[in-house]
Amino acid sequence: MNLSLGLYRRRKIWNGLLLSLSVFAAGFGLAWLGFILFTLLQEGINGFSGKLFTEMTPPPGSDGGLANAIVGSALMSALAVVAGTPLGILAGTYLAEYGRYSRGAFIVRFVNDILLSAPSIVTGLFIYEIFVLRMGHFSGFAGAASLTVIVIPVVVRTTENMLLLVPNGLREAAAALGAPRSAVIRAVTWRAARAGIVTGVLFAISRIAGETAPLLFTALNNQFWSTDLNQPMASLPAVIFQFAMSPYEDWHHLAWAGALLVTATVLSLSIVARVLESSRRSQ
Amino acid sequence: MDARVEESTKVDVRNLSFYYGGSKALKNISLPLKDRKVTAFIGPSGCGKSTLLRVLNRIYELYPNQRAEGEVILDGENILKSSVDTNLLRSRVGMVFQKPTPFPMTIFDNIAFGIKLYEKMARSELHGRIEDALQRAALWNEVKDKLRESGLSLSGGQQQRLCIARTVATKPEVILLDEPCSALDPISTAKIEELIDDLSNEYTIAIVTHNMQQASRTSDYTAFMYLGELIEYGPTEKIFTTPENKRTEQYITGRFG
Repeated sequence: MNLSLGLYRRRKIWNGLLLSLSVFAAGFGLAWLGFILFTLLQEGINGFSGKLFTEMTPPPGSDGGLANAIVGSALMSALAVVAGTPLGILAGTYLAEYGRYSRGAFIVRFVNDILLSAPSIVTGLFIYEIFVLRMGHFSGFAGAASLTVIVIPVVVRTTENMLLLVPNGLREAAAALGAPRSAVIRAVTWRAARAGIVTGVLFAISRIAGETAPLLFTALNNQFWSTDLNQPMASLPAVIFQFAMSPYEDWHHLAWAGALLVTATVLSLSIVARVLESSRRSQ
Repeated sequence: MDARVEESTKVDVRNLSFYYGGSKALKNISLPLKDRKVTAFIGPSGCGKSTLLRVLNRIYELYPNQRAEGEVILDGENILKSSVDTNLLRSRVGMVFQKPTPFPMTIFDNIAFGIKLYEKMARSELHGRIEDALQRAALWNEVKDKLRESGLSLSGGQQQRLCIARTVATKPEVILLDEPCSALDPISTAKIEELIDDLSNEYTIAIVTHNMQQASRTSDYTAFMYLGELIEYGPTEKIFTTPENKRTEQYITGRFG
């Protein structure tokens, strides 16, 4: 044997170098993330109390909570998900099952990708132009509509991707029994991709949970309790934006508490999504 | 030649050519599938035997840029005509694939799915049909207590027998088997071969196999294909004892392929 120890040594040095660079980069990122979460927790806990969920956003200098903003966010997000999910799943199904090889699907996919990465403020302006201006006032419906525009491309993309992961052998096997395509999709491919599709919807929810820009021109904000979707509506991100920019100390506390609430929601949704995802993989 | 020449033809393939995009995968194939007999397709990888099977139920049409020319006559009707409904065709010509493909649902529903596509029946009757199909596939005893469990929980050999049961349950007229044993161990393989033997009393069967012994054990007729052409077709005994073509002989004796 004629081992070249020099070559080996050089490779080891390189390996050590690359390893330390990767560890450093990962640590750098994680440290900032930890810093953000820690500050959020520290500041957010200060403003956290039972009142957060029971009282309305207060005028400066007095006591209050975020109840109207929490309910507003929940209502608008729920409406957006209820409206956007069926559309997104059907469009994703078209892309993966019916139109997979067609020109139409290619165009839809391309447009969807643009929509997916469009800045959300553009979405807000769009709804403002076609919805708010025509109705003559801001409203929860307009807010929900702009969130729907954000939900749809996310669901379309994940649905298509998850359906593409279903092996063609399953489709062939179902078709070979004489099943029309609609039956193949309903009974076999949707079922096989179910966990992944649900994960996509969860990601869409966490995506809209923190959206501020599209709500500013659509739902605006509302200082008072309102569940009337035809009226301006409060939302956590809009309240955080307003309160954090203010000079008032107690508003700052509430803004931090709201931020903590949004982050906790998104984090738990992500965890549920990950758990679902890994259960799908191990299937 | 023996008495089998008298047998009637269930499927008649006439001048069949097949294209994947621009490349020709089948060249002018003509041969019959005899009624309630087993016809084996043998030949080296890429010779077109699976492709031929995939034309017989038009499953290739799930993909773009694949095209068949010629005729495939099933009971007097050319099934390649565009007016033929492919779903109805596939309910008459069943297919079992190389890799077991249980659906992500219970064992019961795996079989019920195919039956319910074209038949309406009472729950009890459905249950009877499913038991019957599982019995035929020699799987009943192993799964009778877990019909509500996922089909994915079965072993590979059991999954393949589930797929056969699923196909048998819909009562097709022709069954296409595309290397059904290639992913299985010898015991599962033996079970499936027995099953093929049993099924051939009622069904017209076409089987693609890489296993020469399997072809000789299970089939009545054998077709040897090479590079998209049908080299030789005849009664299995004759193909395996006194083949006419030199390449057939070489392939069967393991000298190439």
